Amino acid sequence: MKALNTAKIHKRKLRNQSLAFWTFGVISFGIVAILIVILSFILYHGFKVISWDFITKMPEDGMTKGGIYPALIGTLYLVAGSMIFAFPIGVMSAIYINEYARDGILKRFIQMMTNNLAGIPSIVFGLFGMSLFVNDLKFGASILAGSLTLGLLALPVVIRTTEESLKSIDNSFRIGSLALGASKWQTTKRVIFPMAFPNVITGLILAIGRVSGETAPILFTVAAYFLPRLPHSIFDQVMALPYHLYVISTSGTNIEASRGIAYGTALVLIMLVLITNLLANALRRYFGNKVKMN
Amino acid sequence: MNKIETRNVNLYYGDFHALKGITMSIQENSVTALIGPSGCGKSTYLRCFNRMNDLIQKVKIEGDILVEGKDIYERGVDVDELRKKVGMVFQKPNPFPKSIFENVAYGLRVNGVKNKAFIEERVERSLQQAALWEEVKDKLKKSAFALSGGQQQRLCIARALAIEPTVLLMDEPASALDPLSTAKIEELIYELKNKYTIIIVTHNMQQAGRVSDHTAFFYMGELIEVDETKVIFTNPKNVRTQNYITGRFG
Amino acid sequence: MTHLDSELKFLKEELVAMHRLVYSQVSKCKEALFRFDNDISKEILVTEKRVNALELKIDRDCENILALFNPVAIDLRFVLAALKINSNLERIGDNAEGIARYVLDVKQPFPAELLERYHIKEMIDTCLSMLEDAITALENEDTAAARKIFLKDDALDQINRSVTATTIKLVEERNNMTLHFINLLSIVRKFERIGDQTKNISEEIIFYIEAKVLRHGQNIN
Repeated sequence: MKALNTAKIHKRKLRNQSLAFWTFGVISFGIVAILIVILSFILYHGFKVISWDFITKMPEDGMTKGGIYPALIGTLYLVAGSMIFAFPIGVMSAIYINEYARDGILKRFIQMMTNNLAGIPSIVFGLFGMSLFVNDLKFGASILAGSLTLGLLALPVVIRTTEESLKSIDNSFRIGSLALGASKWQTTKRVIFPMAFPNVITGLILAIGRVSGETAPILFTVAAYFLPRLPHSIFDQVMALPYHLYVISTSGTNIEASRGIAYGTALVLIMLVLITNLLANALRRYFGNKVKMN
Repeated sequence: MNKIETRNVNLYYGDFHALKGITMSIQENSVTALIGPSGCGKSTYLRCFNRMNDLIQKVKIEGDILVEGKDIYERGVDVDELRKKVGMVFQKPNPFPKSIFENVAYGLRVNGVKNKAFIEERVERSLQQAALWEEVKDKLKKSAFALSGGQQQRLCIARALAIEPTVLLMDEPASALDPLSTAKIEELIYELKNKYTIIIVTHNMQQAGRVSDHTAFFYMGELIEVDETKVIFTNPKNVRTQNYITGRFG
Repeated sequence: MTHLDSELKFLKEELVAMHRLVYSQVSKCKEALFRFDNDISKEILVTEKRVNALELKIDRDCENILALFNPVAIDLRFVLAALKINSNLERIGDNAEGIARYVLDVKQPFPAELLERYHIKEMIDTCLSMLEDAITALENEDTAAARKIFLKDDALDQINRSVTATTIKLVEERNNMTLHFINLLSIVRKFERIGDQTKNISEEIIFYIEAKVLRHGQNIN
């Protein structure tokens, strides 16, 4: 009697196992498929437009011909600027929260606020940036204002990922270092942060990814529809890829004709993010190995 | 000469009374073993001497804890300096993800020592004291993680010795190791006591017998008995001590 | 050398020291009997105090080693043997003291021909040589030396058996010096005991080195 029952149960187990496997498999495949579809779509339409000229030349003929060079440069400036602002401050904040702050109301408050910051819609950032940087501080619509605004957007991402990477370092290393008479700062600088660094870089990449595609924050703070020249200083306006894409798809002088360029822009944007990710992974692996050695 | 002395020390983790009125002296250049069942307070007591209990929030300490005659919990005591004088080795070996050389040199570097020759000499000396030099002298630049568990623990001991402490605290240093490595560590402790004052927490009573000059038996936060190890193991004065070491209660 | 090794080495040194003390007592017995020097007899009694103190110390040291180190195999056998050897040596010392007391007991020296008839010289020389063999066996862990002792003990047993008849004859022959005869009889018995104790020591030495038990007349190899 008993032997029969276990055979039945066993069969049911196998069937459920199989069911679960295929369900998850199909879903995962579905997601990958969607991604492939999107990429293929953009690749197909944008590929014809891509050329060395496209990347290095100014737009011509009301954006129906020529290149997207200024937008590309603008995006790069903005990404760099926002990271110059967000990365040091974000890392320092995370180090404070994880290594120094005592458990209590203040620490929980800071962490809650950071999470809230992450949830604020990007258009609100844009409005805030316009109000504070562009108007009150009189920076005007500029790279400076745009970088600061994007930096604020990126800040919670950097803080959270850095915090997580610090948290993931086993406490025994801190204890071991302190027991040798090192101060908390020495411990963080010499042992903990170098160990967390690969994951911190990942956080940086995530932040860059987030920032390069944002349109709303740069709408009022820096982006220009068209600039005949490249910017000279941080107080100048710039063009940017996401905004450029938006503009030529919706309110350009000749939408139909610019469609090809729009796809091209989208492709360049995606490529940018992809390349950044690959670069970051390479950096991660390099630093990961270094951590093991010294 | 009393290297370490505690007088009526009480310690609380929040509301929990972890150490109850501990009064004890420890002589220079001796090995003192702290034994007792799990949770009896022996590791807590050990951590008092280099103020590692400070890292735990909600800890309250009363009473006097003196190292070389000075109260280490007084205001104005430099905790980093204390920890250079009172070193610690932990149960699970915890070398840094650095090279063998850099691990041992760490204590010197955070102390501001920059002289390369001095650091090299000190690293070699510490590794010899920890009976590890012969095994690693050709691969000092290799990662510490490439060593076996027993070697890693000896590395941690070398790392602690590099800054020349006078007291060495060891929290179950061999309990995570295989028997051969354990034997090596025990021999090491026997040799080190000529230069250092050692306090070792162990849940292995036979180890206490082999390695220590004095043994202190803790139970539920109280110090039940402390005496020469010979006496504790042949004729303890307290019946609870006898029950513990004969294995008649956990 | 490990901690345990140095403790065992020290224990052995103590045993050898005790051995030499006891040897000196027996050797002085020879002088006491042949030269009839009461001072020497008294020395034997004084040495006995040191022997007793050393016996207590060795016992304590064995106890400590067992408690602290939980020795096994040859180390354990050595400590167990040491306890027994210790007690055997102490009894040899006791016997030597007893002999000294018998000597002090008589007012006149023992005549040479009497000492001859009781084979005293032979007995003492045999005992001393057995004790030497024992020291050698212990120091060098030499079981061949230990085994030599068995045969020599046989010689002592023989003499011991013969002196009862000798005494009876002497008592019938003369009626002076009766105390001398009686004491000499007792002295011979004591030397026989010393021989037995030494034989026990050699059995213990063979036990700890070879793990062979030779007590109670088993398997003398």
